Amino acid sequence: MELTHGLELFPDCTVTLLLFNHVKNAAALRKKAMEGSIEGALINPAMIVDPFQILVAANKAVHLHRIGKMKTRTLNAEIIFSLSPNNNISDAFKKFGISDSDTAVLIVLVVDKEKTVNLGDIVTQVEGQQVSLNELPQLTDTARVKKMYKVTPQEEKLGTLLDSIVCRMSTKDVI
Amino acid sequence: MRPARRGLVMAAASAGADGVRAGEAADPAMDETGNANGAAAAAVGEPEAEAPPLPGLQLVHQGAEARVYRGLFLGRAAVAKLRIPKRYRHPALEERLSRRRMAQEARSLLRCRRAGISAPVVYFVDYVTNSIYLEDIVGSITVQDHINSVQRSENDTSSLLTLAEKMGEVLARMHDEDLIHGDLTTSNVLLRPPVEKLDLVLIDFGLSFISGLPEDKGVDLYVLEKAFLSTHPDTETLFQALLKSYAAASKKSGPVIKKLDEVRLRGRKRSMVG
Repeated sequence: MELTHGLELFPDCTVTLLLFNHVKNAAALRKKAMEGSIEGALINPAMIVDPFQILVAANKAVHLHRIGKMKTRTLNAEIIFSLSPNNNISDAFKKFGISDSDTAVLIVLVVDKEKTVNLGDIVTQVEGQQVSLNELPQLTDTARVKKMYKVTPQEEKLGTLLDSIVCRMSTKDVI
Repeated sequence: MRPARRGLVMAAASAGADGVRAGEAADPAMDETGNANGAAAAAVGEPEAEAPPLPGLQLVHQGAEARVYRGLFLGRAAVAKLRIPKRYRHPALEERLSRRRMAQEARSLLRCRRAGISAPVVYFVDYVTNSIYLEDIVGSITVQDHINSVQRSENDTSSLLTLAEKMGEVLARMHDEDLIHGDLTTSNVLLRPPVEKLDLVLIDFGLSFISGLPEDKGVDLYVLEKAFLSTHPDTETLFQALLKSYAAASKKSGPVIKKLDEVRLRGRKRSMVG
Protein backbone atom coordinates (compact mmCIF):
# COMPACT_ATOMS: atom_id res chain seq x y z
CA MET A 1 0.00 0.00 0.00
CA GLU A 2 2.63 2.48 1.05
CA LEU A 3 5.72 3.22 -1.02
CA THR A 4 9.22 2.86 0.37
CA HIS A 5 12.48 3.86 -1.30
CA GLY A 6 16.04 4.04 -0.01
CA LEU A 7 18.22 7.10 -0.38
CA GLU A 8 21.27 5.88 -2.28
CA LEU A 9 23.49 8.65 -0.98
CA PHE A 10 22.42 7.97 2.59
CA PRO A 11 22.33 4.18 2.78
CA ASP A 12 20.97 4.11 6.33
CA CYS A 13 17.92 6.14 5.35
CA THR A 14 14.64 5.02 3.86
CA VAL A 15 11.72 7.17 2.79
CA THR A 16 8.17 5.89 3.19
CA LEU A 17 5.15 7.54 1.62
CA LEU A 18 1.61 6.98 2.91
CA LEU A 19 -1.37 8.37 1.05
CA PHE A 20 -4.78 8.91 2.61
CA ASN A 21 -8.08 9.95 1.01
CA HIS A 22 -11.45 10.96 2.48
CA VAL A 23 -9.66 12.39 5.49
CA LYS A 24 -11.95 13.94 8.10
CA ASN A 25 -9.52 15.17 10.75
CA ALA A 26 -7.12 17.28 8.72
CA ALA A 27 -7.34 20.11 11.25
CA ALA A 28 -6.40 17.83 14.15
CA LEU A 29 -3.58 16.28 12.12
CA ARG A 30 -2.20 19.68 11.23
CA LYS A 31 -2.21 20.63 14.90
CA LYS A 32 -0.41 17.41 15.80
CA ALA A 33 2.17 18.07 13.09
CA MET A 34 2.84 21.56 14.42
CA GLU A 35 3.20 20.20 17.96
CA GLY A 36 5.47 17.45 16.71
CA SER A 37 3.28 14.69 18.09
CA ILE A 38 2.88 12.88 14.80
CA GLU A 39 5.76 11.31 12.94
CA GLY A 40 6.45 12.38 9.42
CA ALA A 41 5.87 15.37 7.17
CA LEU A 42 2.25 16.05 6.29
CA ILE A 43 1.94 17.16 2.71
CA ASN A 44 -0.92 18.25 0.47
CA PRO A 45 -1.10 15.62 -2.32
CA ALA A 46 -2.71 18.12 -4.71
CA MET A 47 0.72 19.67 -5.16
CA ILE A 48 2.51 16.38 -5.81
CA VAL A 49 2.67 14.85 -9.30
CA ASP A 50 4.86 11.85 -8.60
CA PRO A 51 6.60 10.13 -5.67
CA PHE A 52 9.91 11.06 -7.31
CA GLN A 53 9.15 14.68 -6.43
CA ILE A 54 8.99 13.69 -2.76
CA LEU A 55 12.17 11.62 -3.00
CA VAL A 56 14.10 14.55 -4.45
CA ALA A 57 12.84 16.80 -1.65
CA ALA A 58 13.64 14.20 1.01
CA ASN A 59 17.11 13.61 -0.43
CA LYS A 60 17.92 17.29 -0.32
CA ALA A 61 16.48 17.66 3.17
CA VAL A 62 18.49 14.75 4.55
CA HIS A 63 21.63 16.09 2.86
CA LEU A 64 21.23 19.52 4.41
CA HIS A 65 20.35 17.97 7.75
CA ARG A 66 23.53 15.88 7.71
CA ILE A 67 25.75 18.88 7.01
CA GLY A 68 23.86 21.10 9.44
CA LYS A 69 22.72 23.55 6.78
CA MET A 70 18.95 23.22 6.90
CA LYS A 71 16.94 26.38 6.40
CA THR A 72 14.15 25.19 8.68
CA ARG A 73 14.24 23.72 12.16
CA THR A 74 13.28 20.10 11.61
CA LEU A 75 13.87 17.47 8.95
CA ASN A 76 10.14 17.22 8.23
CA ALA A 77 9.84 20.96 7.82
CA GLU A 78 12.85 20.89 5.52
CA ILE A 79 11.21 18.28 3.31
CA ILE A 80 8.19 20.52 2.87
CA PHE A 81 10.43 23.52 2.24
CA SER A 82 12.47 21.61 -0.35
CA LEU A 83 9.31 21.04 -2.37
CA SER A 84 8.87 24.76 -2.87
CA PRO A 85 10.31 26.49 -5.95
CA ASN A 86 11.11 29.59 -3.92
CA ASN A 87 12.95 30.38 -0.71
CA ASN A 88 10.00 31.58 1.34
CA ILE A 89 9.50 29.14 4.21
CA SER A 90 6.03 30.19 5.36
CA ASP A 91 4.78 30.19 1.79
CA ALA A 92 6.09 26.64 1.41
CA PHE A 93 4.12 25.49 4.45
CA LYS A 94 1.01 27.23 3.25
CA LYS A 95 1.14 25.75 -0.24
CA PHE A 96 2.64 22.30 0.38
CA GLY A 97 1.61 21.56 3.93
CA ILE A 98 -1.91 20.49 4.74
CA SER A 99 -4.71 22.88 5.60
CA ASP A 100 -7.70 22.30 7.85
CA SER A 101 -10.11 21.73 4.97
CA ASP A 102 -8.03 19.17 3.10
CA THR A 103 -9.54 15.73 2.48
CA ALA A 104 -6.39 14.03 1.33
CA VAL A 105 -3.06 13.80 3.08
CA LEU A 106 0.35 12.49 2.06
CA ILE A 107 2.60 11.50 4.95
CA VAL A 108 6.33 11.23 4.34
CA LEU A 109 8.54 9.41 6.81
CA VAL A 110 12.31 9.43 6.73
CA VAL A 111 13.64 6.62 8.85
CA ASP A 112 17.13 5.68 9.99
CA LYS A 113 17.88 1.99 9.81
CA GLU A 114 18.21 1.60 13.58
CA LYS A 115 14.84 3.14 14.30
CA THR A 116 11.80 1.01 13.70
CA VAL A 117 8.73 2.92 12.74
CA ASN A 118 5.26 1.74 13.51
CA LEU A 119 3.24 2.53 10.41
CA GLY A 120 0.12 1.20 12.07
CA ASP A 121 0.46 3.90 14.71
CA ILE A 122 0.32 6.62 12.11
CA VAL A 123 -2.47 5.02 10.14
CA THR A 124 -4.71 4.89 13.22
CA GLN A 125 -4.21 8.60 13.85
CA VAL A 126 -5.62 9.47 10.43
CA GLU A 127 -9.41 9.43 10.15
CA GLY A 128 -9.41 8.46 6.54
CA GLN A 129 -8.78 5.68 4.06
CA GLN A 130 -5.23 4.69 3.26
CA VAL A 131 -4.85 4.29 -0.48
CA SER A 132 -2.07 3.17 -2.78
CA LEU A 133 0.37 5.75 -4.18
CA ASN A 134 -0.94 4.75 -7.61
CA GLU A 135 -3.95 6.92 -6.86
CA LEU A 136 -1.79 10.02 -6.43
CA PRO A 137 -2.32 11.30 -10.01
CA GLN A 138 -6.06 11.46 -9.35
CA LEU A 139 -5.45 13.77 -6.42
CA THR A 140 -3.03 16.10 -8.20
CA ASP A 141 -4.24 19.56 -9.12
CA THR A 142 -2.16 19.95 -12.30
CA ALA A 143 -3.24 23.51 -13.00
CA ARG A 144 -2.32 24.62 -9.51
CA VAL A 145 1.03 22.84 -9.72
CA LYS A 146 1.86 24.49 -13.06
CA LYS A 147 1.02 27.86 -11.59
CA MET A 148 3.02 27.32 -8.41
CA TYR A 149 6.12 26.19 -10.25
CA LYS A 150 5.66 28.76 -13.03
CA VAL A 151 6.18 26.25 -15.80
CA THR A 152 6.62 28.00 -19.16
CA PRO A 153 4.78 26.78 -22.28
CA GLN A 154 8.09 26.18 -24.13
CA GLU A 155 9.22 24.03 -21.26
CA GLU A 156 6.14 21.84 -21.38
CA LYS A 157 7.18 20.66 -24.83
CA LEU A 158 10.60 19.58 -23.56
CA GLY A 159 9.60 17.09 -20.96
CA THR A 160 7.13 16.12 -18.30
CA LEU A 161 5.72 18.40 -15.63
CA LEU A 162 7.73 16.38 -13.14
CA ASP A 163 10.95 17.30 -14.97
CA SER A 164 10.19 21.01 -14.70
CA ILE A 165 9.30 20.71 -11.04
CA VAL A 166 12.36 18.73 -10.01
CA CYS A 167 14.68 21.08 -11.87
CA ARG A 168 13.32 24.06 -10.00
CA MET A 169 13.46 22.30 -6.66
CA SER A 170 17.10 21.38 -7.06
CA THR A 171 18.34 24.71 -8.40
CA LYS A 172 16.37 27.17 -6.32
CA ASP A 173 19.29 28.01 -4.05
CA VAL A 174 21.39 29.34 -6.90
CA ILE A 175 18.86 30.95 -9.19
CA MET B 1 44.69 36.78 -27.84
CA ARG B 2 42.55 35.35 -25.10
CA PRO B 3 39.53 34.15 -27.07
CA ALA B 4 41.52 32.20 -29.64
CA ARG B 5 43.74 30.54 -27.08
CA ARG B 6 40.73 29.62 -25.03
CA GLY B 7 39.14 28.09 -28.08
CA LEU B 8 42.17 25.96 -28.84
CA VAL B 9 42.54 24.99 -25.21
CA MET B 10 38.90 23.94 -25.18
CA ALA B 11 39.38 21.78 -28.24
CA ALA B 12 42.54 20.27 -26.84
CA ALA B 13 40.98 19.63 -23.45
CA SER B 14 37.98 17.80 -24.81
CA ALA B 15 40.02 15.90 -27.38
CA GLY B 16 42.40 14.75 -24.66
CA ALA B 17 39.61 13.91 -22.28
CA ASP B 18 37.81 11.71 -24.76
CA GLY B 19 40.81 9.41 -24.90
CA VAL B 20 40.17 7.94 -21.46
CA ARG B 21 37.12 5.75 -21.50
CA ALA B 22 35.37 3.63 -18.91
CA GLY B 23 36.40 0.11 -18.15
CA GLU B 24 39.89 0.46 -19.51
CA ALA B 25 41.65 1.05 -16.23
CA ALA B 26 39.44 -0.67 -13.67
CA ASP B 27 41.71 -1.69 -10.86
CA PRO B 28 39.69 -2.93 -7.87
CA ALA B 29 42.72 -2.63 -5.61
CA MET B 30 42.73 1.10 -6.10
CA ASP B 31 39.06 1.53 -5.36
CA GLU B 32 39.16 3.68 -2.21
CA THR B 33 35.48 3.38 -1.57
CA GLY B 34 35.49 -0.40 -1.33
CA ASN B 35 32.28 -0.22 -3.26
CA ALA B 36 30.97 -3.51 -4.54
CA ASN B 37 28.43 -2.02 -6.85
CA GLY B 38 29.92 -3.71 -9.86
CA ALA B 39 31.46 -0.40 -10.73
CA ALA B 40 34.56 0.49 -12.61
CA ALA B 41 35.71 3.20 -10.25
CA ALA B 42 38.34 5.56 -11.60
CA ALA B 43 41.78 4.16 -11.07
CA VAL B 44 43.22 6.77 -13.39
CA GLY B 45 44.18 10.00 -11.72
CA GLU B 46 43.14 10.78 -8.17
CA PRO B 47 41.51 8.08 -6.11
CA GLU B 48 40.56 10.54 -3.34
CA ALA B 49 37.25 11.61 -4.85
CA GLU B 50 34.85 8.82 -3.97
CA ALA B 51 32.50 7.33 -6.46
CA PRO B 52 28.86 7.92 -5.52
CA PRO B 53 27.18 4.80 -4.10
CA LEU B 54 24.57 4.49 -6.81
CA PRO B 55 23.24 1.14 -7.96
CA GLY B 56 24.45 0.10 -11.39
CA LEU B 57 27.32 2.57 -11.17
CA GLN B 58 29.52 2.91 -14.23
CA LEU B 59 32.29 5.38 -14.92
CA VAL B 60 31.36 6.92 -18.22
CA HIS B 61 33.97 9.58 -18.74
CA GLN B 62 37.03 11.01 -17.10
CA GLY B 63 37.63 14.54 -18.20
CA ALA B 64 40.02 17.20 -17.02
CA GLU B 65 37.33 18.84 -14.93
CA ALA B 66 35.20 16.00 -13.68
CA ARG B 67 34.45 12.31 -13.55
CA VAL B 68 31.12 11.36 -15.03
CA TYR B 69 29.24 8.30 -13.77
CA ARG B 70 25.97 6.66 -14.73
CA GLY B 71 23.73 4.99 -12.21
CA LEU B 72 20.30 4.90 -10.65
CA PHE B 73 19.39 7.81 -8.43
CA LEU B 74 16.11 7.67 -6.55
CA GLY B 75 14.95 5.07 -9.04
CA ARG B 76 15.84 7.03 -12.17
CA ALA B 77 18.64 6.69 -14.69
CA ALA B 78 20.99 9.49 -13.73
CA VAL B 79 24.37 10.95 -14.48
CA ALA B 80 26.57 11.93 -11.55
CA LYS B 81 29.25 14.48 -12.31
CA LEU B 82 31.95 14.73 -9.68
CA ARG B 83 34.35 17.62 -10.01
CA ILE B 84 37.99 16.62 -9.65
CA PRO B 85 39.73 18.78 -7.07
CA LYS B 86 42.70 20.62 -8.47
CA ARG B 87 45.35 20.26 -5.80
CA TYR B 88 47.66 22.81 -7.35
CA ARG B 89 45.16 25.54 -6.63
CA HIS B 90 44.97 27.40 -3.36
CA PRO B 91 42.22 25.61 -1.38
CA ALA B 92 40.16 28.74 -0.87
CA LEU B 93 40.25 29.48 -4.57
CA GLU B 94 39.50 25.87 -5.41
CA GLU B 95 36.44 25.84 -3.17
CA ARG B 96 35.12 29.09 -4.53
CA LEU B 97 35.75 28.18 -8.15
CA SER B 98 34.19 24.75 -7.86
CA ARG B 99 31.14 26.14 -6.17
CA ARG B 100 30.76 28.90 -8.72
CA ARG B 101 31.10 26.53 -11.67
CA MET B 102 28.55 24.16 -10.21
CA ALA B 103 26.14 26.95 -9.46
CA GLN B 104 26.57 28.29 -12.98
CA GLU B 105 25.97 24.87 -14.45
CA ALA B 106 22.80 24.37 -12.43
CA ARG B 107 21.56 27.87 -13.21
CA SER B 108 22.23 27.52 -16.93
CA LEU B 109 20.51 24.15 -17.13
CA LEU B 110 17.39 25.61 -15.57
CA ARG B 111 17.59 28.68 -17.80
CA CYS B 112 17.79 26.44 -20.86
CA ARG B 113 14.75 24.45 -19.88
CA ARG B 114 12.71 27.54 -19.08
CA ALA B 115 13.48 28.80 -22.58
CA GLY B 116 12.51 25.51 -24.18
CA ILE B 117 16.08 24.42 -24.96
CA SER B 118 16.67 20.75 -24.34
CA ALA B 119 19.12 20.16 -21.50
CA PRO B 120 19.29 17.52 -18.75
CA VAL B 121 17.07 17.93 -15.69
CA VAL B 122 18.96 18.68 -12.48
CA TYR B 123 18.08 16.21 -9.73
CA PHE B 124 20.47 17.23 -6.95
CA VAL B 125 23.43 19.51 -6.40
CA ASP B 126 25.91 18.67 -3.63
CA TYR B 127 28.19 21.60 -2.91
CA VAL B 128 30.10 19.59 -0.30
CA THR B 129 31.43 16.85 -2.56
CA ASN B 130 31.13 19.10 -5.62
CA SER B 131 28.87 16.71 -7.42
CA ILE B 132 25.78 17.23 -9.51
CA TYR B 133 23.18 14.59 -10.28
CA LEU B 134 21.40 15.00 -13.61
CA GLU B 135 18.98 13.24 -15.88
CA ASP B 136 20.63 10.56 -17.98
CA ILE B 137 19.56 10.81 -21.61
CA VAL B 138 19.41 7.07 -22.06
CA GLY B 139 20.65 5.75 -25.38
CA SER B 140 21.98 9.10 -26.53
CA ILE B 141 25.11 9.59 -28.55
CA THR B 142 27.24 12.68 -28.91
CA VAL B 143 27.05 14.63 -32.14
CA GLN B 144 30.77 13.96 -32.38
CA ASP B 145 30.29 10.19 -32.42
CA HIS B 146 27.37 10.53 -34.80
CA ILE B 147 29.27 12.61 -37.34
CA ASN B 148 32.22 10.22 -37.12
CA SER B 149 30.06 7.18 -37.69
CA VAL B 150 28.20 8.75 -40.62
CA GLN B 151 31.42 9.88 -42.25
CA ARG B 152 33.06 6.51 -41.74
CA SER B 153 30.17 4.54 -43.18
CA GLU B 154 30.02 6.98 -46.11
CA ASN B 155 26.31 6.96 -45.77
CA ASP B 156 24.08 9.75 -46.92
CA THR B 157 25.95 12.73 -45.56
CA SER B 158 23.19 15.12 -46.51
CA SER B 159 21.54 14.14 -43.23
CA LEU B 160 24.52 15.84 -41.59
CA LEU B 161 23.52 19.09 -43.27
CA THR B 162 20.12 18.97 -41.60
CA LEU B 163 21.86 18.19 -38.32
CA ALA B 164 24.09 21.25 -38.74
CA GLU B 165 21.04 23.39 -39.46
CA LYS B 166 19.30 22.06 -36.38
CA MET B 167 22.38 22.87 -34.30
CA GLY B 168 22.40 26.40 -35.65
CA GLU B 169 18.79 26.81 -34.60
CA VAL B 170 19.37 25.52 -31.08
CA LEU B 171 22.43 27.71 -30.57
CA ALA B 172 20.53 30.71 -31.88
CA ARG B 173 17.81 30.11 -29.33
CA MET B 174 20.42 29.75 -26.58
CA HIS B 175 22.22 32.95 -27.51
CA ASP B 176 18.93 34.80 -27.81
CA GLU B 177 18.48 33.94 -24.14
CA ASP B 178 21.87 35.60 -23.58
CA LEU B 179 23.23 32.28 -22.44
CA ILE B 180 26.85 31.60 -23.38
CA HIS B 181 27.78 27.91 -23.23
CA GLY B 182 31.51 28.47 -22.88
CA ASP B 183 32.62 25.06 -24.07
CA LEU B 184 30.83 24.34 -27.30
CA THR B 185 32.12 21.18 -28.91
CA THR B 186 30.43 18.36 -30.75
CA SER B 187 30.89 16.14 -27.71
CA ASN B 188 28.80 18.55 -25.64
CA VAL B 189 25.73 18.12 -27.80
CA LEU B 190 23.78 14.88 -27.54
CA LEU B 191 21.32 13.25 -29.89
CA ARG B 192 18.33 11.72 -28.14
CA PRO B 193 17.27 8.37 -29.63
CA PRO B 194 16.03 7.81 -32.29
CA VAL B 195 18.87 9.65 -33.96
CA GLU B 196 16.86 10.44 -37.12
CA LYS B 197 14.64 12.79 -35.14
CA LEU B 198 17.61 15.13 -34.64
CA ASP B 199 16.45 15.88 -31.11
CA LEU B 200 19.45 17.77 -29.73
CA VAL B 201 20.33 18.07 -26.05
CA LEU B 202 22.96 20.51 -24.82
CA ILE B 203 25.16 19.39 -21.92
CA ASP B 204 28.13 20.51 -19.82
CA PHE B 205 27.40 24.06 -18.81
CA GLY B 206 30.24 24.23 -16.31
CA LEU B 207 31.86 27.16 -18.09
CA SER B 208 28.66 28.94 -19.01
CA PHE B 209 27.68 32.49 -18.13
CA ILE B 210 25.04 35.09 -18.97
CA SER B 211 25.96 37.79 -21.48
CA GLY B 212 24.22 39.87 -24.10
CA LEU B 213 27.46 40.94 -25.75
CA PRO B 214 27.89 39.92 -29.40
CA GLU B 215 31.59 39.49 -28.59
CA ASP B 216 30.87 36.69 -26.11
CA LYS B 217 28.44 35.00 -28.48
CA GLY B 218 30.92 35.32 -31.31
CA VAL B 219 33.62 33.72 -29.20
CA ASP B 220 31.21 30.93 -28.24
CA LEU B 221 30.71 30.18 -31.93
CA TYR B 222 34.42 30.50 -32.60
CA VAL B 223 35.17 27.87 -29.95
CA LEU B 224 32.67 25.58 -31.66
CA GLU B 225 34.13 26.29 -35.07
CA LYS B 226 37.64 25.43 -33.92
CA ALA B 227 36.48 22.28 -32.16
CA PHE B 228 34.30 21.28 -35.08
CA LEU B 229 36.89 21.70 -37.81
CA SER B 230 39.71 20.15 -35.83
CA THR B 231 37.71 17.10 -34.77
CA HIS B 232 35.86 16.50 -38.03
CA PRO B 233 37.88 16.83 -41.22
CA ASP B 234 36.27 18.24 -44.37
CA THR B 235 33.29 19.73 -42.60
CA GLU B 236 33.68 23.35 -43.66
CA THR B 237 30.40 23.26 -45.60
CA LEU B 238 28.66 21.71 -42.63
CA PHE B 239 29.75 24.51 -40.33
CA GLN B 240 28.77 27.08 -42.93
CA ALA B 241 25.30 25.59 -42.96
CA LEU B 242 25.25 25.77 -39.16
CA LEU B 243 26.13 29.46 -39.22
CA LYS B 244 23.59 30.20 -41.93
CA SER B 245 20.88 28.51 -39.90
CA TYR B 246 22.03 30.37 -36.79
CA ALA B 247 21.87 33.70 -38.59
CA ALA B 248 18.38 32.98 -39.84
CA ALA B 249 17.07 31.76 -36.48
CA SER B 250 18.57 34.39 -34.22
CA LYS B 251 17.10 37.84 -33.99
CA LYS B 252 20.38 39.36 -32.88
CA SER B 253 22.71 37.43 -35.16
CA GLY B 254 24.08 40.28 -37.30
CA PRO B 255 26.52 41.75 -34.80
CA VAL B 256 27.40 38.26 -33.56
CA ILE B 257 28.51 37.00 -36.97
CA LYS B 258 30.41 40.23 -37.44
CA LYS B 259 32.24 39.67 -34.17
CA LEU B 260 32.91 36.07 -35.17
CA ASP B 261 34.68 37.29 -38.30
CA GLU B 262 36.70 39.68 -36.19
CA VAL B 263 37.63 36.98 -33.68
CA ARG B 264 38.75 34.67 -36.47
CA LEU B 265 41.27 37.29 -37.51
CA ARG B 266 42.65 37.43 -33.98
CA GLY B 267 43.82 33.83 -33.59
CA ARG B 268 47.37 32.55 -33.35
CA LYS B 269 49.74 33.42 -36.16
CA ARG B 270 47.24 35.79 -37.67
CA SER B 271 48.16 39.08 -39.13
CA MET B 272 47.10 41.88 -36.85
CA VAL B 273 47.45 44.38 -39.65
CA GLY B 274 44.51 46.65 -40.32
